[in-house]
Amino acid sequence: MTETTTTEPWLDSNQKPYIQIVNATKKFGNFTAIDNLSLDIYKNEFFSLLGPSGCGKTTLLRMLAGFERFTEGRVLVDGEDISEIPPHLRPINMMFQSYALFPHLTVEKNIAFGLQQDKLPDNIINQRVEEMLELVELTDFAKRKPRQLSGGQSQRVALARSLAKQPKLLLLDEPLGALDKRLREQTQFELMDIQEKLEVTFVIVTHDQEEAMTVSSRIGVMDSGKLIQVATPTQIYEAPINREVADFIGDVNIFKGIYKGQDEKGTQLLSEDSKSIIYATQKVDVPVGNRIWFALRPEKLEISKKLPEVDCNILKGKIEDIGYGGSFSTYHVKLENGRQLTAIRANRERTAEHHLTWGDEVYLHWVPHSAVVLLS
Amino acid sequence: MNIKEIQVPSFLRRAFNGRNAIISIPYLWLLFLFLFPFIIVLKISLAQPVIAMPPYTDLLKWGESWWPTIQASLDSYLFLFSDSLYIHAYLSSLKIAIISTILTLIIGYSIAYSVARAPTRWRGILLMLVILPFWTSFLIRVYAWIGILKTEGLLNLALTTIGIIDKPLIIMNTDLAVYIGIVYSYLPFMILPLYANLEKMDMSLLEAAADLGCRPLKTFWTVTIPLSLPGILAGCFLVFIPVMGEFVIPDLLGGSQTLMIGKVLWGEFFYNRDWPVASAVAIILLAILVVPIMFYQKSQEKAIS
Repeated sequence: MTETTTTEPWLDSNQKPYIQIVNATKKFGNFTAIDNLSLDIYKNEFFSLLGPSGCGKTTLLRMLAGFERFTEGRVLVDGEDISEIPPHLRPINMMFQSYALFPHLTVEKNIAFGLQQDKLPDNIINQRVEEMLELVELTDFAKRKPRQLSGGQSQRVALARSLAKQPKLLLLDEPLGALDKRLREQTQFELMDIQEKLEVTFVIVTHDQEEAMTVSSRIGVMDSGKLIQVATPTQIYEAPINREVADFIGDVNIFKGIYKGQDEKGTQLLSEDSKSIIYATQKVDVPVGNRIWFALRPEKLEISKKLPEVDCNILKGKIEDIGYGGSFSTYHVKLENGRQLTAIRANRERTAEHHLTWGDEVYLHWVPHSAVVLLS
Repeated sequence: MNIKEIQVPSFLRRAFNGRNAIISIPYLWLLFLFLFPFIIVLKISLAQPVIAMPPYTDLLKWGESWWPTIQASLDSYLFLFSDSLYIHAYLSSLKIAIISTILTLIIGYSIAYSVARAPTRWRGILLMLVILPFWTSFLIRVYAWIGILKTEGLLNLALTTIGIIDKPLIIMNTDLAVYIGIVYSYLPFMILPLYANLEKMDMSLLEAAADLGCRPLKTFWTVTIPLSLPGILAGCFLVFIPVMGEFVIPDLLGGSQTLMIGKVLWGEFFYNRDWPVASAVAIILLAILVVPIMFYQKSQEKAIS
């Protein structure tokens, strides 16, 4: 018996998906919330569903939990079709956005609630509750009522309660949405540690792209009830498949233009924003003359007052705005045609000898490898 | 023009500022419409009945001396405990109040639950229907029940016509009629606090219970009922307390054997003209009700905190 563990099971055709969503459709009256969506999630994945509000991500999560019925399609967990199983019989637990802690029960009774439904003996329940309290570091708060807890503590109780039954799949609906930024960032890492330790498959819904990038093994970007792209955070960020994804994840500069063919420097684009051809290394397979786009992340745009000593991809502009962010600064540069681009530069020297200030004439430049070519 | 400023003493100014004036309204209300009448009833209960106008002796007797002599007696109270009628009436009222509170709770809870879970656009209409009977006089509604429950009334007519029974049911002038009347009349007082509670219940708690493996019926007992406890208590007290002293319903719908303290009280006042005993009955009734009223206060304080 040899079980190969791989960090990227979705690339390995021998791996069997653990959660299979097959042609799922959900309609509310005339409104299609989920539109013929299929998705495979692998064991021990930390999968994020990311998208703007109203894109259907929460509906999909609720379909997995059993609170919404499939209009069409089905879902398999570990090979078993659970589409028709009511929520209280599914081997899936959910952490609610509002946490939904029972206000009349203490922290330990909240955590024990699910175990009691399984009619487990008391000593096993107690032991399990203790383990969970230790896991989320709330042992001292066992006898408190939910209203005596802070937001961060409530969040951890909700997590402990949803993990207590050792579900095959844990669904998390905006689990960190109610926490402040600092606590959220800290909790992201805790969540990853817990997921790794317990080896539970996580599916998380979030609208916070930074959160999705930090915690996920893979991200599914959703819009209008469809998955637009499913890939690792790096791929989503560095190789988005269209402008929508590029725009939704992080900041991006988009150059619109006409495809002019390939040469030794790469794909040629004639853009309205530059008087010359600009280049990206990535090759495309479309006829010359088609409309294509280059996407360029702000941190890949170099900004300088001196003319860079390169032979392509130079744009001239004027600094309109500077946003000082501590570790980095954001520059808004207005090109000669009035178009505004965003560049980010790390502040590597403490005494701020940037030489760059409002109104400065600057050159923007990027290496062809940094740009992504988009066809839609 | 020279306007001279009027000097108002500071304690008067403090007493008549807007905030105090508004706060004082409920206190004055309680003082004049509750405490004063209560003191009068208490005073009468300590007097002796006489054939006069008013039919009781004065508490204070002004003699030759500068100081009045106090004429108080506990005879009326002692009389209440010497005649078993009164104790029976209290116990019977207690029994009727408890049973009808439970019946009202069961019926009221199911109505409040269905209204709270109805589609939002229906809730207002359904709630209106619950309150609608208040638009008709309470007395007329109780009289209407006579028309329904009497031997040749609507209910018996309907049942015999369908053929469910051959002989008319004797409901009128029994305890059953009293229960029907009380449950009907007090149902809105049970439904409204329960609805207010159930309507704002977080539905995600029920989903969380289901998610953790709890069957729907069990979720009702382990989550819905405990969380609606404040509403249940409020409704039960709002029904129990007035039913304890209820007079009209047992008088109109009940039979001669239906014993309720409200009816006894009425009899003492208007048939026996024994105001001191009647007042003593009222004072004892109040003393009995203070216990549940205090519990109600406590539960309300808890609900607020």
